[in-house]
Amino acid sequence: MSWLKKESVLVPIDFSELSYQAIAPAKEFVESLSSLKLIHVLSPLHPADPAAMWDSPSDDERKQKVKKFMSEKLSEIGFDNISIEVAIGEPTGQIVDYAAEIKADLIVMPSHGYKGAKRFLLGSVAERVVRLSPCPVLILK
Amino acid sequence: MKQDLLRLRQYLPKKMIDLRTLGLIILSLILWDVVISPRAAMAQDAAAPGGFLGGIEAFVQGIVDILNLIFYFKIGGENGFPFIVLWLVIGAVFFTFRLKFINIRAFKHAIDVVRGKYDSAEDEGDVSHFQALAAALSGTVGIGNIAGVAIAIRLGGPGAAFWMTMAGFLGMSSKLAECTLGQKYRVIKPDGTVGGGPMYYLSRGLSAMGMAKVGQGLATMFAIFCAIGSLGIGNMFQANQAFAAVSNVLPFLGSLSWLFGLILAAIVGLVIIGGIERIGAVAGFLVPAMAVIYALACFWVILVSLPALPSAIGTIITTAFNPEALAGGAIGAIVVGFQRAAFSNEAGLGSAAIAHSAARTDEPVREGIVALLEPFIDTMFICNLTAIVIVLTGVYADPTAADLDGAQLSAASFAQVISWFPYVIAVAGFLFAISTMISWSYYGQQAWTYLFGESTINTYKVIFLACVFVGSVVNLGPVLDFSDIMALAMSLPNLMGCFLMSGLIARELDSYMSRLKSGEMLPESEPARSVVLK
Repeated sequence: MSWLKKESVLVPIDFSELSYQAIAPAKEFVESLSSLKLIHVLSPLHPADPAAMWDSPSDDERKQKVKKFMSEKLSEIGFDNISIEVAIGEPTGQIVDYAAEIKADLIVMPSHGYKGAKRFLLGSVAERVVRLSPCPVLILK
Repeated sequence: MKQDLLRLRQYLPKKMIDLRTLGLIILSLILWDVVISPRAAMAQDAAAPGGFLGGIEAFVQGIVDILNLIFYFKIGGENGFPFIVLWLVIGAVFFTFRLKFINIRAFKHAIDVVRGKYDSAEDEGDVSHFQALAAALSGTVGIGNIAGVAIAIRLGGPGAAFWMTMAGFLGMSSKLAECTLGQKYRVIKPDGTVGGGPMYYLSRGLSAMGMAKVGQGLATMFAIFCAIGSLGIGNMFQANQAFAAVSNVLPFLGSLSWLFGLILAAIVGLVIIGGIERIGAVAGFLVPAMAVIYALACFWVILVSLPALPSAIGTIITTAFNPEALAGGAIGAIVVGFQRAAFSNEAGLGSAAIAHSAARTDEPVREGIVALLEPFIDTMFICNLTAIVIVLTGVYADPTAADLDGAQLSAASFAQVISWFPYVIAVAGFLFAISTMISWSYYGQQAWTYLFGESTINTYKVIFLACVFVGSVVNLGPVLDFSDIMALAMSLPNLMGCFLMSGLIARELDSYMSRLKSGEMLPESEPARSVVLK
């Protein structure tokens, strides 16, 4: 079956349980974990947010912190050493751009996730990713 | 399709549907304001700007009339105290006594903390105490410090300035209370940034006291008032008075308010939509610099007219207690003074707690103590200087200048001594207004996110920019009324929560002060600082 395996599969993570649960089905499509890529998209800070005003934490520091936070969570649920990308901006655009950059063969994501951030509410990000993605998208129910 | 919709409805919690409906109502009200009513006016007479702008103004007035009925009912008859102002006064007096005049007791400590004596790089949070204070001040020190004082003196006589100072003094304690809570119940997000403010402390703090429902209700109420309020105090009022200050020195702009509105909206839009983040840092430097220049000019005017100073201060104090001073009597001066002070220093409104939550500390009370400097700098210092200049130069009492109000009255007062100073006021006012608008768009955006989530933030930004335009073209009267009511309304849920948690605030404060006195909280030692440098 290995001829069916994909070279690079992208899973967007928004810290919701549902998005973490997408990693397992995504793993089915790849031979090794190294072909699996995760991305989290941070929102840009408002210019009047004290953190943005004084550049503290800087964008790089924010990304580093999220990477650390995510790899801890991932090793808790049994996935060590998955490559994590953190981008800042509008979720759909960043996910689609990164998919193109790594020449992803597939994007796997839940239809809607985290209620608190309400970002995936009504699956709108998933919907837009489907429309703009350069590769097939698997939406999990 | 219908089935899908039904299924969708099941997924959405009931509260959310209510909030969304409410949001839609508010949104359509505002859209009606900016889109439909001007169009109706334009159909009548496309050539006359009066019809176009008049339509907008009539609508703002319409909203104000309804809000007036709800928040401004007067307690004690015709000349009584408007309910919402009384609420603020009670809040400020209550916390001053409940916290045993902490505004005096902790003043020196506040300055020590701002100077960085207690900073520790290991504590959680984003920025230093000084940086958090500067960020909050760029929201509070707005054109209100120049124009608001003039408005207060116009409406309430020179005595209103006395009550503004008093309100600033008492407001230091309510500011401490809300910012302490803001720190205590903030949330540190995975990227290290902080989420804080009344939405957080009302819901989290009260739920810790077993009042989760009340807390959520108050937090939602606050978020609604803050999202709308940001369009008044932090937007339309600023745009309106920035236009007044600028057109005062560039008279050809007088009939081009729409152009000014578009330019101002474009500048603010570049920052809040274009994401020019670093402008925040520029404001962080420019606003204090302008404030210093402004204060120096005030001192100059005072110095030049030094012999008249005692009698000017005498006028302010005697008219504060003289019931015949104006139509509203002494109560009128108190009401106007407290209202304009709260409008300027935001004490009791809860907004500044959003910025103060970002300070790096493990002692919530410590940032609260820093925050009490805010009403002091904003109201007791800057506003007071403006008031003394206005009363000293006497322009307010000159019958030939009776039609001057707000920024123009302040400018005319300065022009008595420094003829070119209206230009400085125009520049300072413009910068103050822009930085305050950017800060308030942040507060409003936090509130909006709490209600509707991050996905609709651009809707808020568009509404915000539309209001920049509306504020520039509409007359002061309705803009001021709308801004006042919505800003003061924020104090309703905010102070209610602070009252309920006042026991906790007092306990935390007592524990902090006793540890401070015992010397166990010695300023961070030098080795800890060298870690920062590495």
